Formats: sequence, structure tokens, C-alpha cells
Amino acid sequence: MTGTRLPTRPVTTSETSPGQRKKRRRFDLLPYVLVAPLAVFIVGLALVPAGFTVVESFFKVDTLDPPTRFIGLGNFRQIFLDPLLRTTVVNTLGYVVIGTALSTILGIAMAVTLQHRFAGRSLLIAILVLPWALPGVVEGIVWTGIWDANTGLFNSVLTSLHLIDHYQVFLGQNRWLTIFLIEIVQVWQITPLSALLVLAALQNIPGDLYESARLDGCSGFQAFRRITLPLARPGIAVAMVQAVIATLNVFDQPYVLNGAAPAGSSVMIQTYLVSFQNLNFGEGYALSLLVTATTLLMSLGVVKLVYRRVEY
Amino acid sequence: MRNRIKLRWFGIAFIALWSLVPIYWTINISLQDEAQLGSKPAHYVPPSPTLKNYETLLTGPGPVPGQIRASAVNIVVECAAATIVTVVLSTLAAYAFARMKFKGRNVLFYATLATMAFPAYTTLIPLYQILTEFSLVNTYTGIVLVYVSGFLPLATWIMYNYLQSLPASLEEAGLVDGAHRMQVFWHVLLPLARPGIISTAIITFLFSWTQFLFPLVLSTDLSTQPLTVVVQALQGQHVVPTTLLSAAGVLAIAVPAIIGFTLNRYIVSGLLAGSVK
Repeated sequence: MTGTRLPTRPVTTSETSPGQRKKRRRFDLLPYVLVAPLAVFIVGLALVPAGFTVVESFFKVDTLDPPTRFIGLGNFRQIFLDPLLRTTVVNTLGYVVIGTALSTILGIAMAVTLQHRFAGRSLLIAILVLPWALPGVVEGIVWTGIWDANTGLFNSVLTSLHLIDHYQVFLGQNRWLTIFLIEIVQVWQITPLSALLVLAALQNIPGDLYESARLDGCSGFQAFRRITLPLARPGIAVAMVQAVIATLNVFDQPYVLNGAAPAGSSVMIQTYLVSFQNLNFGEGYALSLLVTATTLLMSLGVVKLVYRRVEY
Repeated sequence: MRNRIKLRWFGIAFIALWSLVPIYWTINISLQDEAQLGSKPAHYVPPSPTLKNYETLLTGPGPVPGQIRASAVNIVVECAAATIVTVVLSTLAAYAFARMKFKGRNVLFYATLATMAFPAYTTLIPLYQILTEFSLVNTYTGIVLVYVSGFLPLATWIMYNYLQSLPASLEEAGLVDGAHRMQVFWHVLLPLARPGIISTAIITFLFSWTQFLFPLVLSTDLSTQPLTVVVQALQGQHVVPTTLLSAAGVLAIAVPAIIGFTLNRYIVSGLLAGSVK
């Protein structure tokens, strides 16, 4: 970790009395004062609540069915027996696979586009970042205007191109089409960060590598496959991890575009409904714990598969 | 070579269209009236652009514009407060982590970073129960406390990296001259750390602005509901015309869009510092 760069004690300061100085030599209070608020927040509003989630998963916590009592794996059993939840698990896996694949491929393509300098590059980066900065809920509303059955841009363009005879209902009919179209909206939000992460990795690649590859008669595509992709792996790994976390926890986009309809509902939507509409907090806790554990495991898996330390 | 340049142009066009078309489309709808919106095929540019929807939302009477205005005030208050508290606390803590040696430093530092690995929603239900316990549901304090706890780890990490990148020699000179460590912090370190502070502030502000599920659960009435929650609630009501809803959507994305577009330099540097763990 880090070495301390400052002398632990400042040289005699004019405004401290000898008494204070003596006391401070024994115990340096200042760093504790500086980190105390952070510690209160991290312990009180992150670690303790996370502990709650783990412990209460094994309790019956139901406002409509008091008191709170230990039921072992009861919540988990209830979850696995719930057919609706099985549907949302499969849906969520669909979101994860589609979203991670699309955002990674698009992110790499965008990063490669931005790899070398050209006029207007920083303007293009500003445009690229835009969808990342916007609230997911409002992005859902933005894209409702595109997928809409009566007034949507998608219908209008497809009809004008004579690809369809008349306007179609795209969302909520076919399950996988619904999931795909909703995930496009999330991909729109998370791809900018993927592109930036890959771009940062690309900018560490020395230019003379490409130069010598070209002299050796390497085609552009070969250079991409043999130089760009392997050396971008650390960036690609981080990009995929952020995509896995975002897609496994997807809530805003399906909630806005599809409501709680089973055709596109996600595990997080189900967790929200179980906890805050059915008021069955115990089952909600168990669901949260499962989502968290899955997120950590999948993130680790991606890192193991994709991440390679790169040295030049 | 020719092919590569063609490919680059394709990439540039794709990035621009991909980012801008959905936003353009929402603005396009918001400048039409309901009859025009019904046209098939759709109007790709507003046939007779009207600001009527915006006028209704910003100055009109009735419950919908009232909700939009109240929630716009809420989101600004919550984002500003969360940003200020997060930036102050993370900068102070990062100063201690980067420049001082003390017992428990590594434990607290790694515990803070570890919370970033958990998805945010892990603590949704317990935080709701804690806020209920302390009667903080439907208060600005409650929302801001939750936001700050969520954004502090990343903010501390960004500020820590930034302070680490600054040479310690200037501060040492100040200390040798007899200044107190907090004087050195205020007069020497903070001015140098300004770009890092700006990055942290912008990223925290944008993260607060995009929140939906937390405020959906933690605020149930207009006293604290932010714009994001109200806009979504209006979408569910079929009496609210799509054109008006689009105008509300444009209002909700205007602030983050302008910040994201003009200050993206700081966002990019902050996010990349935050991700290279």
C-alpha cells in the first residue's frame, strides 16, 4: 500500500501550547477526526445493513405476519418454489448475457474508433458520454418513444422502408423480443463506460507495436486481433464486470418499459414487489442476498476468464 | 488504408447517431401536439414547433405541472446536499488516508473500498428499515444520508488517488515553516487538488440525479420525491399526454445532459481513476 510521505509529527507549531504538544505526541488525534464521519457512514449505513441482509434472510420478517422469527432456509425454499421467480431469474440471465455481450462488443468498437487522434475527437467523446449521464428511468421514457406501438420511431422507420406493412406491438408480446429491446435501452446507458474503460487500456499500447506489425505485412484486422484485443484485456475485463453488475441488478428500464409484467420482469423488480408490496421483507432479504452473491461470483468469474496482466 | 478510414467514418457516425437519436426523438415529440404525434409515419421534425408543453409544465396550473415543479426542487436540493457532504467528507478522509499514519487505517480503507464490490441494492431493504426506525422516511435528511453512504467509497477512492498523485514536497515546506497540518491542507493541498474535487463533485451529482429505486422506496410523497420518481409515476397515468410526458423527460435529462456534455473531461478522468483498482 502507501507509504506515509509526511513526518508523523509536524515541527513545533507556534500556536500549540507545550501541554497540548505533549499530549499529541502520545496520541495523534487528527487522522481519527478526519476519517470519523466516513467511518460512521461506512459502518452504520453500509456494513451494518449488509449484515442485516445476511442475518434476516433466515428470519420471517413480515409486517403482515408478526413477530419476526427464525425460519432457517424457509425464505430460500419459498423463493425456489415460486414459478414467477423462476421466470424472472431466466429473464435476468437473458439481460445479463445480451447486455454484457452487446455493451462489450459495442464498447470495443467505439474505443477502437476513438483510439487515434483526429479532429473532433474530444467532441465525439462528449457525445459518447451523454447516455451514461442520464437517469435510467428517463432513458426508459426516451426509448418508449422509439419502441411505442402507435407513435414509435422504430415502427415509423420500418413502415417507411416497407419492412412491415403496419405498426406492430413490440413490447410485452414475445418474451425474448421484449427482453432484447429493453436490454438495448440499458446497453445504451452502460456502453459509454465500457468504451471509456477499453479506450483507456488502448491508449497504453505503444504506437510502435502497430508500426512494426505494419512493416511485417500485418493487415489492419490482424493487428486488431493480435495486438489490440490481447493488450486491451484488463480494460475489457473491468468493462465486463461493470456490465455484469448493472445487468444482474437491472430495475429501471424493465420497470418503466414493461411494468411488472412477467414477460420482461427482472429479479430486482421481483425483490421490490415482494418487499414493498407484499411486505414480506424476509423473502426480500433472501433475494437480495442471492443477487449479491451471484453478482460477486459472476464478477469474479469474468475477471478470472478475461483479465490478464499486461506488461510492455 | 482507405478501408480503415472508411471504417473510422462508420464508427464516428455510429457513435453520434447512437447517442443522439433517442435524445433528439424525445425533444422532437416534446415540440409537437398530440394530433401531430398521431401521424403515421411519424413527423421526423416537428411540423410546427411549439413550446406549449414546456409552458404547461413550468407555469401552468393543475396537479401535473405542480408535481413536476415540486419534484424538480426536491431533486436539486437532494443532489446538491449529497454532493456537498460527500465531497467534504471524502476529501477529509482521503487526506488522512494519503498523508497520515494511524492505527486502523488499512482496515477502514479496505472496508470502504470493499463496499464498492457489493451491488447498491444489497442494502435497500435494511436502509428502508433503519430510516423507518429513525422516522427519516420522506425527509431530505434520510435521502441524503443514503446517497452519501452510497457514493462516499468511490469519492474517497478518487480523492485518495488524486492526493497520492500530488508531490508531498510543497506541504512539507509548509510544515517546516510552522503551519498546522490543517492550514497546509487548506492553503496548499486543496488548491492543487481542485481538478480531483471537481471530478468527485460532478460524478456524485450525476449519480444522485440518476437515482430511482432508492427514492421510490424512501420517499412516498411530494415533500421529497425527486423528478425521476414523479416522471415515472406520470408515465403510468394514461391521462397524461405523451407529448407532455416527453417534455417532462427532457426537463429531467437537461441538467445531467448539459453537465455530461460540457464537463466530460472531469467525468472521464474521475471514472477511470475509480475503475483501475
